[in-house]
Amino acid sequence: MESKFPNRFFPLLVLLPTLLVCGMFLYYPVAQSFSWSLLRAAFMGLRTLYVGTQNYVRLFTSPDYLHSMWVSILFAGGIVIFGLAFSLAIALLANRKVRGARIYRTALIWPYALSPAVAGTIWLFLFNPTAGVVNYVLERTIGISPDWVTSQNLAVFLVISAAVWKNLGYNIVFFLAGLQNVPGQVIEAARIDGAGSWRCFWRITLPLLSPTAFFLLIMNMIYAFFGVFGLIDVLTKGGPARATNILIYNLYRDAFQHNKWGMASAQSVILFIMVVGFTLLQFRTTGRKVHYGG
Amino acid sequence: MKRVLLFVMLTLLVVSGLVVAQEKTQITLWHAMSGTRELLIQRMVDDFNLTHPGIEVAVEYKGSYRDTLNAAQAAAVAGDAPHVLHSFEVGTQQLLDMGIFALAEDLIDEYGVVIPWGDYLAPALNYYKIGGRQASFPWNSSNSILYYNKTLLDAAGVTMPREPTFEDIIAISNAVISAGVAEGGITWPMHSWFFEQWMAELGANLVNNENGRAGYATEINLLDPAAITIMSWWKELYDKGLWINPGRENWSQARQNFTTQRVAMMISSTSDVNLTENAAFEGGWEVGTAFMPVPLGFERHGVVIGGGSLWVTKDHPDAELKAATELVVYMSQVSQDIEWHQGTGYFALRNTSLQALALEGWYELHPNYKTASDQLAETQVMTATQGALAGVFPEIRTFIEDAAEEVYGGTPVGEALAKAKALIDQALVDYKELMGG
Amino acid sequence: MADNKKTRDWYYWRPKLSTFSTHLALLLTALLIASPIIFALIKSTQSTAQISTYPPQFVIGNSAAENYTVAWERYNLGKLMANTFGVAATVMIGKTILSLFAALALVYFDFRFKGLIFIFILVTLMMPVPVRVVPLFKLVSSLGWGNTFWALTIPFLASATGTFLFRQHFMSIPTSLVDAARVDGVGPMRFLWQILLPMSMNTIGALAVIEFVYLWNQYLWPLIIISSNDNQMIQMGVKRLTSAGPEGMVHWGVSMAGVIITMLPPLIMFILLQEQFMRGFALTEEK
Repeated sequence: MESKFPNRFFPLLVLLPTLLVCGMFLYYPVAQSFSWSLLRAAFMGLRTLYVGTQNYVRLFTSPDYLHSMWVSILFAGGIVIFGLAFSLAIALLANRKVRGARIYRTALIWPYALSPAVAGTIWLFLFNPTAGVVNYVLERTIGISPDWVTSQNLAVFLVISAAVWKNLGYNIVFFLAGLQNVPGQVIEAARIDGAGSWRCFWRITLPLLSPTAFFLLIMNMIYAFFGVFGLIDVLTKGGPARATNILIYNLYRDAFQHNKWGMASAQSVILFIMVVGFTLLQFRTTGRKVHYGG
Repeated sequence: MKRVLLFVMLTLLVVSGLVVAQEKTQITLWHAMSGTRELLIQRMVDDFNLTHPGIEVAVEYKGSYRDTLNAAQAAAVAGDAPHVLHSFEVGTQQLLDMGIFALAEDLIDEYGVVIPWGDYLAPALNYYKIGGRQASFPWNSSNSILYYNKTLLDAAGVTMPREPTFEDIIAISNAVISAGVAEGGITWPMHSWFFEQWMAELGANLVNNENGRAGYATEINLLDPAAITIMSWWKELYDKGLWINPGRENWSQARQNFTTQRVAMMISSTSDVNLTENAAFEGGWEVGTAFMPVPLGFERHGVVIGGGSLWVTKDHPDAELKAATELVVYMSQVSQDIEWHQGTGYFALRNTSLQALALEGWYELHPNYKTASDQLAETQVMTATQGALAGVFPEIRTFIEDAAEEVYGGTPVGEALAKAKALIDQALVDYKELMGG
Repeated sequence: MADNKKTRDWYYWRPKLSTFSTHLALLLTALLIASPIIFALIKSTQSTAQISTYPPQFVIGNSAAENYTVAWERYNLGKLMANTFGVAATVMIGKTILSLFAALALVYFDFRFKGLIFIFILVTLMMPVPVRVVPLFKLVSSLGWGNTFWALTIPFLASATGTFLFRQHFMSIPTSLVDAARVDGVGPMRFLWQILLPMSMNTIGALAVIEFVYLWNQYLWPLIIISSNDNQMIQMGVKRLTSAGPEGMVHWGVSMAGVIITMLPPLIMFILLQEQFMRGFALTEEK
């Protein structure tokens, strides 16, 4: 039996601030999302009209909204695949025993300290047609000068590359930690038995890294869905032609630019359900809980 | 004894000074003018504060027009809206429907102030007249004009007519590109505003119900031949490499493209006259201006007033409302009108201002400032040029700009416009229903 | 047999070749990763004229002092950073206190609905800001907190993560301590302050750095709730860096200077407090 303090009132008293904040600023707004999602609302609720499930029906039959879902998934996929692949490669490199390994490690991971908005700003400049450098380099080497501003596919590339670059450090740190947990003797034994580096990696290292990889998969997906908002707002604003219009950006535009508070609330509800579903799924597979940065 | 007396007198002086200071009516003005215009507004407001000792105006730049409108909405919900709000022209229907603003005409009647409306340029007034009554105070009015780099055009051996056609633009673009003096022919911010200006030029209402002026609009005329002509020309210019895309709503990059002489022509607001003339002066080239181009053979109908106006919010004590009205009246006076016009390029709204400047010979020295007013003076009076009223303008602009981007990406013009029309029509109908119209 | 010989030979050459190539690869990779910032740094020292020239120049310009001063003043970076530090400090302290209290209550007391309350708190992990931003905006505006310091802090004072971690940590502390405390007549507050707190410093430190990064990077919430530039947070300053300056155009040299400036505080923190960062990362993984 664990020892406890006897008071009955005291614990509730000290829990009160947390409960109040959670109730008022977390639960209440989520509940309100549900109720507002059944309305058509303008001017932040000064004008409302009950429309039942119309918002949801419209969203799920709207090619633009479904496209936003696709874009979110596309970004998540790109950021996870490229982010983890590059980070793993760099982590493997940084794991080698050389002099100055710690300095190298810092030099490889520090861009993590940048914000997504800063990454977006730098990319905006790098790819700027008049002042940037990328088009100049491309012109000189391959002889093409892509129109970054107008091309929908290139915009996707811009966002994913900036997002991957910014998050490399974070992924590398975890991979390094995971790699250090791979017992050296196992690798040595395999080597002596004649296994090549590639087989060692594939059969031993990678499986041992899979918990780390799985964790990073989740963190990068959250990053792709929510964290890159600032990056997109600075770099492409959801365009061109909605090519980078992820779900949260669409929500933001509908609420704060298009004055459609009911429709935005419906989108919030859908996002909430996705988050819940995702959390439960992850809970099932690992039994761990997730940190959303709150 | 003397010391005590002195002390008491000093105290009384200080206290009365404080009392007088506190008696100043405090009002706030929120606006969306950035850069040098922000500084100019601050100067004008400082002058007002000096000449109106009983009033103290606090000025705040709230960001873009959209941000300013959002801020106003949030403030309305929280119950502390600013006294005077600067809003863009397309926010007009929304502001009317929000119900928190006092109509200009009512304020004038209430406080017995005098604004000689007859002295104003009619189109500027008419945009903000709803049901025959003046709703807000026109302030920074503009329309779009064509800027061109005379030096580059000379180098390519072409000249710009006063009233160019689409074909002229294509020819001039080709000329400057083949002469190797510029990378592209023309640029303008990828903004729905220009589309709207061109619809007016071609005499087409943007939305139905007499451009939203006879009642809530329920349809947008995006499949009108005028709309298709405009979008098709945009596409042609892009596909042929004659038009450089500065980015969506990116005024800054468009200006940069023009001032770094990457392109020879730019279409932008008349409020950029000051800026482009300065850049040209520093760069050692000459800038000229011309009317908006129209397709060959089309009749020119004129342009719509752009920019914004000043709105006064209702729920304030009487003294503050009076002070707010005085501020707005002050801003509309001839000397302020001239100061604002010369400092930015926005229209001089009052005929008196125009005449005064003409007498001075100012327009001989600065002909570019007159292009926009000339264009406006030659505008036909019709609903198409009066300007569309719609509560969902932000969405309209998003969808039109999306359509343009899709067109540049390869979607056929008709298809992109039809898609935008379907979405906008629904938005218009929804809005009308929501407002109980 | 031949295989072993090949392996032996390779092992002989491996150290020299592989060390050199490893260093080279590491150096190149580090350079590649840093290249966007290096570019930004170079351009932040150039004048508009230099930046506008084509082909782009990669030389260090003379306008560094000017660009950085203009960036600092025009975008109000000092005030924005001060605001952000203030908000970050308040929220970090607030979260720590509230979470410590909550964990204290949940671990060292018995009361009805304890389990339910814990779940109540944990479920908020599924309510990140983007999911509730619209009604939160309306709520905060109706409270009259629009554009205030309160809007940036109060809604963020509770922490499910913190509560969870502290609870985990407390549960791993030997119960003999509690017994001893009770025998000595020490009340719960003193217990928290004198015994639990010093033992939790690692967790507190690690949480603090993660929180700091989160608050420093906040974008969506300040974007919509703060309307006056003086009250804004630093990422909104970053957003403005790409908007037109007084000349009506973006001065990229100034923008890049602004980027470098806003990058420095978290970067310095990161380099100095690397250990705490790593611990913080580890904490978020292991829960």
